[in-house]
Amino acid sequence: MRWVKSTRVVEPIIVTKSIKLALATLLLPVAALTVPSLVEAAGPSPVFKLRHDNFEAMGKAMKGTFDEFKKPTADVTAIQANANALAAAAVKVKGYFPKGTGPEAGEKTAALPAIWERPADFSAAADRLVGAAKGFQLAAASGDLAKIKPAAGAVGASCKNCHDSFRKPQS
Amino acid sequence: MTSRPAEMTAAGTPVRLWDLPVRLVHWSFVIGIAVMWWSAENHRLDLHFKVGLVLLGLVVFRLLWGLVGSSTARFASFVKGPGAIRAYLAGHKAGTAAHAVGHNPLGALSVIGLLGILGLQIGLGLFAQDTDAVNSGPLNFLVSYDTAKSISHFHGFVFNLILALVAIHIAAILYYRFIKRDNLVSPMITGRRVFETSVAAPRIAPLWLALVCAALAAALAVWVSWGFPPFATPFPWDRPVQQVPDASSYM
Repeated sequence: MRWVKSTRVVEPIIVTKSIKLALATLLLPVAALTVPSLVEAAGPSPVFKLRHDNFEAMGKAMKGTFDEFKKPTADVTAIQANANALAAAAVKVKGYFPKGTGPEAGEKTAALPAIWERPADFSAAADRLVGAAKGFQLAAASGDLAKIKPAAGAVGASCKNCHDSFRKPQS
Repeated sequence: MTSRPAEMTAAGTPVRLWDLPVRLVHWSFVIGIAVMWWSAENHRLDLHFKVGLVLLGLVVFRLLWGLVGSSTARFASFVKGPGAIRAYLAGHKAGTAAHAVGHNPLGALSVIGLLGILGLQIGLGLFAQDTDAVNSGPLNFLVSYDTAKSISHFHGFVFNLILALVAIHIAAILYYRFIKRDNLVSPMITGRRVFETSVAAPRIAPLWLALVCAALAAALAVWVSWGFPPFATPFPWDRPVQQVPDASSYM
């Protein structure tokens, strides 16, 4: 009886030890996850999302425009709406690249360091977009597809011009 | 075609195995896939779109040819169920299997897999778009920006599956070449191969039928490249609209 009792005493100790170990192994990753999330609570600069959304708005406007060209009959009103959206977004581009919002920030971004290394070139590329977008807006307002198409093409050229030097190529 | 009894060939003489259309399509795929990869990597999307439409026509042609073409090209003659594949593998292991005239039941899976993945990839490409949504497939206008974005990512991923299937395809050819001492490449070039035994001669479909299928396939590819316009829509050259700026002008 005493012998049996003693094993009963030993057993719980072993169990407690293993539970502690299990708890520790469970909690370690939790702790590891909590620390970075606390750091992130300070948050990435809101500019990343604003900038992404702005580019996406321009992409949508470009797609909306070229969609019309692919249809048997283009809807000029739809093109005008896209041209206005594009011109409104284009002027914001330059302001969405403050220092410290490059790849070094650790956020998901396709922005290349060249933007901050060659600010004059980047500024010129952004201005070219603004100019092309204005030209496209004017052409769209005229309602003449013969003018609209080359003007939309010029906007596409300004997208590519900037992407070639300042955007990480898509893999 | 299948109603007439098959003629038997003399053992040890060259047999017409693969017809000209099958060989042309096969080697066009080899070149086409390489060009598609190169043009995508180097942002030559003008070339990518043109060759993509040629490949669309070729896949459609191959599907038609699989229905009405020569006996070794027809899906009905070589696509078999799992039972036949197991029986083939068992015979292959025991060394008792008769040499397949055309695709064997296992190789048929490779044909279906490669044609299927090519069809999928071309189908995705029709809806895909580039980063700035300026360069896009001819059917891109039928889907939203976000859908097209997802399709474009998937289009990039599926290329890896094509590479995997091509790798398996080449591995099988090397296995036959060096382990089984059977050269599969030269029959795909010359169309002929020698069988040690007398075999049922494949029926070669007439070339005019291939031309009819090619015309149908080309018409479908062109129609898709115009964005599936409904019937009775004026042809692009009859529309009172100026030319869309060439892709190179904004690239």
